[in-house]
Amino acid sequence: MAGALLDAVAIGLLGLGLLLATIGLYGLLRMPDIFAALHAAGLVTGPALILVLLASVAGGSAEIITSAVLVLLFVVITSPLSGHAIAQAARRAPVEAEAEERAG
Amino acid sequence: MPDIVLEIAFGWAALLLVGGGVLLLRAQSTLQRILALDVLVAIVIALLTILSYLRDRSYYIDAALALALLSFTATLVAANHVVRGRPF
Repeated sequence: MAGALLDAVAIGLLGLGLLLATIGLYGLLRMPDIFAALHAAGLVTGPALILVLLASVAGGSAEIITSAVLVLLFVVITSPLSGHAIAQAARRAPVEAEAEERAG
Repeated sequence: MPDIVLEIAFGWAALLLVGGGVLLLRAQSTLQRILALDVLVAIVIALLTILSYLRDRSYYIDAALALALLSFTATLVAANHVVRGRPF
């Protein structure tokens, strides 16, 4: 009984994570501007990944849960930082980005 | 978890990887390419995690941890390079 419930929770988390990743990727393909694209990318690198990693708690063995929690902590710290770095680069070098967009 | 669910999830994540490749090919500026690579690495991490659930081995997630570390450093350095023209 408890095993079936845990399985259902794990499947739900995994499915929700992959759904969020799909939505984020669709947004990335549609957004024209780098800042708008960053907004959608945050969904893939943040919540989607966190949900997929959290599914281990319901389904995996002890070793898998330990490794997954390590990755989870790392992702929670680094995903906003890398998004912020890209946004800052886009704000500080707008001329180059626009010129490249016009050329490409 | 049942194996069939994990296999479907694995296929779904692989399709997402194809979408990330399309995103990388369609990127028009350097920063968009950096962003696309960041997203691609996130999808690969999810793929390795699902593979680890599927085979019930933990070391695939360790590989994902190393990949996340590399991707974080690479994103910071590449974004810095776009602004200043040098990596650090």
